[in-house]
Amino acid sequence: MTLVNLWLVLAWLVAALVTAAIVVWLQRRARRRSAEAVPVAHSDRLTTLPAYASALRRYRTLLWTVLVAVVLLVAASAVLSGRLVSLTTVQPELRNRDIVLCLDVSGSMIDYDAQIVETFSELTEEFDGERIGLVLFNASAITSFPLTSDYAYARSQLDALHADLVDPDTDWSFANGTLLGNGSSMIGDGLASCVMRFDDLDTQRSRSIVFATDNYVAGEQIMTLPEAGEFARSKDVVVFGLNPGDVRSLDYIAEFADEMRQVVEATDGTYWALEDPDAVPGIVAQVQERQAERFTGEPVLVVTDEPTLPVLAGFVALAAVMFAGWRLRR
Amino acid sequence: MTALLTRVKTTLSIRAHRRVRGMLDGEYASIFRGKSHEFDDIRPYVPGDEIRDIDWKATARAGYPLTKQFIAHRKQTMMLVVDTGRDLAAVAAGGEPKRDVAVLAAGALGYIAVRHGDRVGLIAGDAGGVRLVEPKGAESHLERILQVVVERARLDGARSDLRAVLERVVRTVRRRMLLVIVADDAAVDEETAALVRRLTVQHEILWITVGDADVMAAQWATSPMFDVADDSGIPDFLRRDRRLRAAFEEAERVRDAARDERLDALAISHVRITRHDEVVPTLFRLIEAHNHARR
Repeated sequence: MTLVNLWLVLAWLVAALVTAAIVVWLQRRARRRSAEAVPVAHSDRLTTLPAYASALRRYRTLLWTVLVAVVLLVAASAVLSGRLVSLTTVQPELRNRDIVLCLDVSGSMIDYDAQIVETFSELTEEFDGERIGLVLFNASAITSFPLTSDYAYARSQLDALHADLVDPDTDWSFANGTLLGNGSSMIGDGLASCVMRFDDLDTQRSRSIVFATDNYVAGEQIMTLPEAGEFARSKDVVVFGLNPGDVRSLDYIAEFADEMRQVVEATDGTYWALEDPDAVPGIVAQVQERQAERFTGEPVLVVTDEPTLPVLAGFVALAAVMFAGWRLRR
Repeated sequence: MTALLTRVKTTLSIRAHRRVRGMLDGEYASIFRGKSHEFDDIRPYVPGDEIRDIDWKATARAGYPLTKQFIAHRKQTMMLVVDTGRDLAAVAAGGEPKRDVAVLAAGALGYIAVRHGDRVGLIAGDAGGVRLVEPKGAESHLERILQVVVERARLDGARSDLRAVLERVVRTVRRRMLLVIVADDAAVDEETAALVRRLTVQHEILWITVGDADVMAAQWATSPMFDVADDSGIPDFLRRDRRLRAAFEEAERVRDAARDERLDALAISHVRITRHDEVVPTLFRLIEAHNHARR
């Protein structure tokens, strides 16, 4: 709590003192030469009455009320004119993020995809200013929905996809158009496609991809994964990689995992090898956290006016002055 | 220097009061009836004269009523006893200074006395001292007496002290007189009553109370007000207080009743005057009541 215009407060105090002095002086003078004053005799007829004592008490109470209220009013006005502010330092969290969910919809990934979709569906509740988009890929990539801040729509899409993903009897219609390439699981093409989903490249937004794949390529890619990673880095896109295939129980080729880790980390992202689909929410939380870390702005000194208390005190004091004045003049 | 007496005369001769004034003369004359029956003269009857004083034979001869005048009438002395402290400079219930009302009342009685050939004197005083003006029978003397009263009763004068004045009367006035005591609403306390009791033995007493201002009156509810005794102000807020007004009116009633009771117990004729246009009718009532009480 600080006063911005301290000199104004002091000026108020001086003005109040000068006014009080002038009033006292005028009162003195008026008392000395009160021409219209009524001289009476035997006022003890009145002043010795018990009712006079109680009336005098009421009178004094009112006068004190006025005095205290006026002092309070002047003080409140002085503080208000002095502009009472509180100073706080905040690190603003930038909420201008774009997140593209880039999901490999090959058979082995379905459980993980379902978890990721569900988690992000819930996250849309908390979003404010962020945009989210969803890309599914296998041999080719399709945009399930583009980057949007229409969270109700995004959520309905995510929920529908989740329902399909967990349904054992699904007709796989959500994956329509993902098998148009020469082979299957074109991971590099998929990532590159996802990178191309970011629009509005001129504005300062953080762009990240949640990239879920086992990096098991079966076919001829247009771009390799490292090339796609390079492409992402050139667009300032951070890739968070989730690789369910990178576990010992699977007969997995470590080379693929290493490649993916290098690509992801080259974009300043994080790589997770995971075994259990239930770990996904935790990872998403970590993604959020990392982003928050990355995209907090410079500390900013925030000056907030705090007029509430003086204004309320002033109103109360004014009401008291008016009430007491009404009682005194009645 | 005749300004005060002129005012008294004017008041007495206002048309509406003409009849009253004549009767006032008659009633005044009756005050001393019975003190002496030494026949002096006959004079035309004026309303209020005793019927039994009418000289029927002379009336028959003259063709209009004539009444007997006794020699004692010319030898009477009226002593105006006035408390001229600064209380008298305060405002009366009617709004004018109590001094003006007092001067008018004392002046009217004095003027009637002078017209009857009686002598009028003054004992006026306050805490600063008591002054005696020897009784004389001239109008100019009456004027001087009234001037003394006006001069002493100022806001910056001495404090009021009715008892000192009465004590002086007890000490110095030996001969039987008509005492006209002009006081204000101050309570007639035990000691004052004792002094007055001693005076009643020797003198005829007319008591004129000049009513004090009603402190709580709406008339000056917004003006500043102060007590002449100590210059202390009475805040107007308090004078507008309804509860206090009720209590004050009750207290005033009780006090007035107590004073009336005290004076009645001493068999003293008394009236309360609050404004100048009440003076003549009230004085008439006073003398009439006095004569009735004695009869």
